[in-house]
Amino acid sequence: MGVRNRHVDRIREMASGSCRARWAFVIRSFAIALVAVMLPGLAWAHAAEQGFVLLMPTDIYIAAGAATVAASIALVGLVPVQTVVRVFRPFPLRAMQCPEQAATVVSLLSTLLFLALIWLGFNGPNDPLANLLPLTIWTLLWVVFVVLQAVFGDLWRWLNPWTGLYRVVSASRTPLFQLPQAARSWFAVVLLILLNLFALADLAPDDPERLAVVALAYWVITFLGMLLFGAQDWLARVEVFSVFFRLMARLSPFRFGARPAIGWPGWQALERPQTDPSRAVFCLVLLGSGSFDGLHETFWWLAQIGINPLEFPGRSAVIWPSTLGLLAGNIVLVAIFALAVAAGVALAYGQEQRERLGPAFTAFSVSILPIALGYHVAHYLPSFLVQIQYVGAALGDPFGRGWHLFGLGHGHVTTGFLNNAATVRVLWLTQAGAVLASHVISVLMAHHVAVHLAQGRSAVLRCQAGLAVLMIVYTIFGLWLLASPRGV
Amino acid sequence: MTNIGKKTSLLTRRRALQGLGAGVGAMAATGVLPGLSRFAHAQSSAPIKIGFQMHATGIGAAYGRWYDRTTKAAVERINGMGGINGRPVEIVTEDDGTDPKRGAEVLEKFANQHGCDVAFGTLFSHVVIGSAPRAGELKLPYFVVSEGHHVASGMLNRYTLQPGITDVKSQVQSMAPFVAANLGKKVTMIFPDFAFGHDHRDFFTEAVTAQGGEVVAQIAIPPTETSFTRYFPNIPRDTDVIYHVMVGPAVLTFVKELGEFFGPSRPEIFGFIDSLEAVAINSPGLEFLEGTYFWEGNPRHAQADQSSHDKMYRAAVGVDDLGASVSDSKDVSTYAHMFGCWETLNIIKAGMEASGYQGPADRSKLIEAVEAMSDMPMSDDHPQGPKRFNGKTHQTFGVQYISKVTDGKLVVAHTASIDDGLYEDEVDYTTQSF
Repeated sequence: MGVRNRHVDRIREMASGSCRARWAFVIRSFAIALVAVMLPGLAWAHAAEQGFVLLMPTDIYIAAGAATVAASIALVGLVPVQTVVRVFRPFPLRAMQCPEQAATVVSLLSTLLFLALIWLGFNGPNDPLANLLPLTIWTLLWVVFVVLQAVFGDLWRWLNPWTGLYRVVSASRTPLFQLPQAARSWFAVVLLILLNLFALADLAPDDPERLAVVALAYWVITFLGMLLFGAQDWLARVEVFSVFFRLMARLSPFRFGARPAIGWPGWQALERPQTDPSRAVFCLVLLGSGSFDGLHETFWWLAQIGINPLEFPGRSAVIWPSTLGLLAGNIVLVAIFALAVAAGVALAYGQEQRERLGPAFTAFSVSILPIALGYHVAHYLPSFLVQIQYVGAALGDPFGRGWHLFGLGHGHVTTGFLNNAATVRVLWLTQAGAVLASHVISVLMAHHVAVHLAQGRSAVLRCQAGLAVLMIVYTIFGLWLLASPRGV
Repeated sequence: MTNIGKKTSLLTRRRALQGLGAGVGAMAATGVLPGLSRFAHAQSSAPIKIGFQMHATGIGAAYGRWYDRTTKAAVERINGMGGINGRPVEIVTEDDGTDPKRGAEVLEKFANQHGCDVAFGTLFSHVVIGSAPRAGELKLPYFVVSEGHHVASGMLNRYTLQPGITDVKSQVQSMAPFVAANLGKKVTMIFPDFAFGHDHRDFFTEAVTAQGGEVVAQIAIPPTETSFTRYFPNIPRDTDVIYHVMVGPAVLTFVKELGEFFGPSRPEIFGFIDSLEAVAINSPGLEFLEGTYFWEGNPRHAQADQSSHDKMYRAAVGVDDLGASVSDSKDVSTYAHMFGCWETLNIIKAGMEASGYQGPADRSKLIEAVEAMSDMPMSDDHPQGPKRFNGKTHQTFGVQYISKVTDGKLVVAHTASIDDGLYEDEVDYTTQSF
């Protein structure tokens, strides 16, 4: 509470200060980070996708990336402690009033769209590349919308397909049951793991009919959950997309609603210290699952599970390795993160301060969010550039009848940019840039958390030491993933 | 009718056809819809449904995209010429995920859910091998375009046929005479150390020995390898020609390192284009390939003596003279393989017409009609070249192309004859009952 009040005070203080000076400060901070991110780019001469990537001196890039993150950590350590805290101070914006009915209408339209997509799943084209249901869920929602939330703020509050209908049928009713407090957001963690298992290990998650069954069942269960346990609780603690998207929205520079503001990416996530350990694990599972998604395609992973990477036998042959790998990957990440935090806490307070570990673990976990987003962008960028073309074609011909509505679908889908050294190089640089930028933001966020956890400059720096090592190692891991040959 | 991949609820489709039938029939008869009048004389106006098992996702997706494009172009042409037995052809696309189990599931959907007449498509051998038994159980004719030897080896069944593309054994064997006679007698083979590489090793060693050549070294590379320089000292100094069949993302590294190892003086080099399908041959880093030779199932670059059939085929699929998409010159096609879809669909058409195919009850007649096929001359139906189908082994044989990289272009240096690729029958599927 004390921290919260301090923050409110700072926002007020900032609102009354010189706006121009603060803007200059934010722009300068952006510029420093941008230069830090772009410097190793100068060394990336022959980057390219897959085969072309293997021709590059990737060891040098990985070293340069790790050096960048290390330099950003050193920079943060050198500047006055409060400098980073000031970076994350938001600027209030003029309040914009939007009637609640508008949100209801948008959500109702979203429900209609969702049901139309479900209909398409059952009755539309069988080809998942021509059916708008899998294209919408796996490309527009799972890949694109995550980024939109992180850039533009909480759009999901309006666009989710439940709240409008809920308000119409049940807004005034008191929920019949209450979710136990002890459950925190653990249901959402379990659902996130199940969702990733479906995407990674299921035999045909793209099959329109199969996906329609799963999506409709999930929609119904969620709506029933909202009716029985109340929309607010269910969406905040169980519904996995709402929990996920809201976390991503907290990375956005923008906040809308009653107290609109703009600030450095991540400022909203730092506004209040995270205290819910289940949320902390949720953040880590986001990164763990995303990382395993990349890892499970590499030659290295395939060799570990005894699969010839040049002769991938198909998903059906690796359902259990993928399932166990995803679970193990997340457990390992949580353990490594806990160790990193523990090391920092031990350095800052000595062994006797173990009771600080839990709160530190939970509070520091928000700094994982930008990395999870960076990996998300890097991992999905190539497939997004292909899939979005299919989305366009399917919008022009949603029923598979050879239509070209809105003038869409006339051209052929192309993957030429993945087979061309020049464009692949740009793509790889963008992917690596996303990974690096996310780590730099993460370093800044971790520092901000440390300032509020520890007293005194020395303790602030010591308590993030373990995380600093983890950030550097994870940068190396992330760039190695991008540079590794893949067999899936 | 190119109603590609639309779901087919039997009830709604029947209703729709009943409703549409009267109106469309009347319009067609009066010439209002001249395109549809082509189908007016068939006993049934219901479409022939061909289930297309597509690698839409999974490791085969790059091939699947071009197989899909070729398939759509072939069906458009067939329908433009009046369909099959006066009925329009409808492609029902399902994603096999490049997975054998999913492949079998998809065949079941074709037979039981979509009411398909036949199944068709798919390249990757493990999907074919995983699906074929189900095709046999469903009694669903399964026309594959996989170039694997599994069809002719006898491991599949009477319902599985490969009439539109040659198999690897034949391809490898037909390379040997040219290699031994023109590139050199002493061959060093470099191949990935698993079944695919072993097939090449065994088939080619036997074939080149029969031509008076000699394999002086067999260098097996572990599949997980991504750097190859340390293997090159094992290439004997007296090697005349290197035969390589590397696949996977490290192929470009292999080529680059081979170039660096040999410098300007190198032995002749022969490889299979499979490793560079969909990659422009003049990509940066591939300069070392200049002057080397490649097997090509179908010449990617239009040749000086290009046939009218190849010209027509390229235009129909939307591929330019360099084998790239007409809408993106960087989007290089899988030109060496995808003709198999085009030719297979034309064989299905010919088989259905020869057998008077009317519906699923005639499936065995269709298979017998295809089994009875033999020589197929080069034509618009067979733009890659002439074929000779072996009804006993369910495998087709055809000409093979060897191209030399000349000024960054693939120029055909030799066309291996059908006879070069023939081998003794290993099975007689016609003895199996339906």
